[in-house]
Amino acid sequence: MTKHPRNAVLACGLAAGLASIGGAAQAQDCTTKIGAVLPTSVDWGKPIAATAQFVVDQVNEAGGVAGCNIELVLRDSQVDPKVGVDAAKALVDLDGVQVLLGAVSSGVSMPILTSVTVPSGVMQMSCCSSSTAFSALAEEGKTKNLWFRTFATSAVQGAVGAMVARDKGYKSVAILYKNDDWGQDIGKIVAADLEALGITVTGSVALNDGQASYRAEVTEALKGEPEAVYLALYPKEGTAAVREWISLGGTQNMIVANALKSDEFRDNVGLQYLGNTIGTDTASPRSDSATAFVDQYKAHFDSEPNGPGLSNSYDATMIALLAMEAAGKDASGADIAAMVSKVTDPNGTPVTADTAGFAQAKEVLAGGGSVFYQGATGNVQFDANGDVSAPALTWAFSEDGVDELQYITLEEVDTFIASLN
Amino acid sequence: MIGIISYLVFFTSVAAILSIAVLGLNLQWGNTGLFNGGVVAFFGTGAYGTLILGATPQDAHLGGFELFYPLALLGGMIAAGVLAWLVGMLTLRLRHDYLAIATFGVAVAFENLMRNAEGLAGGAQGFRGFERPLRAWLGDGFTYNLLFLGFVLILLMLTYLFLERLIRSPFGRLLRAIREDETAAQSLGKSPARVRLISFITGAVIMGLAGGLYATFYAFISPQDVVPILTFQIWAMLIVGGAGNNKGAIAGTFLIWGAWTASGWGLSRFAPLEVQLYTGSIQFVLIGAVIVGMLMWRPQGLFPEKLVVSQAGRNIKTNYQGENS
Repeated sequence: MTKHPRNAVLACGLAAGLASIGGAAQAQDCTTKIGAVLPTSVDWGKPIAATAQFVVDQVNEAGGVAGCNIELVLRDSQVDPKVGVDAAKALVDLDGVQVLLGAVSSGVSMPILTSVTVPSGVMQMSCCSSSTAFSALAEEGKTKNLWFRTFATSAVQGAVGAMVARDKGYKSVAILYKNDDWGQDIGKIVAADLEALGITVTGSVALNDGQASYRAEVTEALKGEPEAVYLALYPKEGTAAVREWISLGGTQNMIVANALKSDEFRDNVGLQYLGNTIGTDTASPRSDSATAFVDQYKAHFDSEPNGPGLSNSYDATMIALLAMEAAGKDASGADIAAMVSKVTDPNGTPVTADTAGFAQAKEVLAGGGSVFYQGATGNVQFDANGDVSAPALTWAFSEDGVDELQYITLEEVDTFIASLN
Repeated sequence: MIGIISYLVFFTSVAAILSIAVLGLNLQWGNTGLFNGGVVAFFGTGAYGTLILGATPQDAHLGGFELFYPLALLGGMIAAGVLAWLVGMLTLRLRHDYLAIATFGVAVAFENLMRNAEGLAGGAQGFRGFERPLRAWLGDGFTYNLLFLGFVLILLMLTYLFLERLIRSPFGRLLRAIREDETAAQSLGKSPARVRLISFITGAVIMGLAGGLYATFYAFISPQDVVPILTFQIWAMLIVGGAGNNKGAIAGTFLIWGAWTASGWGLSRFAPLEVQLYTGSIQFVLIGAVIVGMLMWRPQGLFPEKLVVSQAGRNIKTNYQGENS
């Protein structure tokens, strides 16, 4: 026990020594660190981290950033805010990172933003935090433009979910949502959108994590005898809740948010019950780079990128690294953040999301041009709050994963959302 | 170098804040034998109370009273005390494991209330809109953290001194008497129920102080901060440090929190890349092993309680008047 702090101090000294050597070495084989605080101790968090590491490998293959290799220092947030904040602080202070990827939960990302990255002027890019609180904070000017996220705010998915209900002609819908910031947000948005379309919401029920049974919640949602059910759940609770829903005679007309786009959910519920299930997701653009992402992912990980947040993690990491390239060597977090618009510029040269794309981007940026990144989640464009909108798609489960049903362009999404208000 | 200092300041602040909560638990468990399984409820009440009273107005939820910071902090502590009084009235007749289960239930209920009561506490999105005091003058950077650390250390010192005097006083002896043999204490004309309640509330107010400081430090609190794991962490700190010994409580906090963060840091730095993705799980195993080892080979903790012979009380008796009446 007593050895731990002593070792830590020793290691700190060692790290400082190494850092100063690194600074003196310079030249081609230098290393720039970026930090990531992700919930690697949670099953669905691991692939998100693996995807970020995958991007770093690709970028290093393309010659690294600003002449330096990139090293991703990964820390586990344990989905515990104080652990995540401590990890972020250590990355910023001890490893000197200027770019921080993460976190996943808004409840972890938020204190990191307010107490670590903003005070230290470090750019923070989250793949997966969806809370509307970030937009509010940005509007107040308290993120100092250091905050970005590649996860489209829940407005897109909520609206498309309501669109599906309208197109299918459902007259009444019950909502089951995960009782966290993401679920509460999307549950509220879907309910409002459905009401705006004249569809009755028979009930909106929150599901807490980790319960052995959701019978009480499911029964309550069944009361209004809805024609369809909207599910904003994660695979684990989703599986348990849907099993009970179906066994209690609930409708198989289901509309599900992207978090249930998982093989685990499909296999555990059974494909035969999911025939009338339509999923929503933010979509990839109709560009080669999007399919390229899926192909690359399959080639590298030997599985479909079906978990939540994977393409978002890919884009978050890639955009951060592109911005670092644009900002040049030894840039500060604020400099890098300022370059994000230069690598997601609609008037720039389109580049694909892979090794070749990064290499091409390096050339364009070196020539003083700007780049339009064609990402795995779409041709990502951030608004003033660091939020993204995105095209959307609907999908259905199939034997070998999911099949796309309909593609909804960014313009269609925006027009539809506007028509609801 | 400045980075290391900056990180150490940050680390010490968190550890010192947690120490205060562990001291509160030490009064309840170490000195009085009350098994509080719901530390987070009181910690969280202090945190939410402080932010609700001290924050700027927000559309989304209650709050925005913009009280002078020390008053907001005090308000959070009082709120934690009131909650402890309510819970104590209902549950303190319970013993040991039953009390633990009841208080654990209170903590889970508290977390769920905060998660769902959007109008009160912002729901799962958490409570925003708090400005750290004096931030306008001191900025956000290192100076601020350093001064905040000073503030936390002073409060930790005050709490420590208060508790040291308390347990050395006749009232402290009474606490231990009740812990060891309640019937015997009762036969001497003492009222165990009342004394247990006082100890429970005092401990909870101290936890509330820790919670208030914690929320101030992050300028944010969400239901994710008040999940049961925090109760477990605080207990682990006390057990490792040594229940019944205030120095042990503080040392245990620094050690456990240090081990918790250092192991994460060490694994991220020295573990090979393939193992990196599993560092979280490895860390849980390491910490668990430390606690199990501690319980097996040194169950009294690193700093065991010093058993005081009553003679020591004679010296203190003279300045006892008015301290705890």
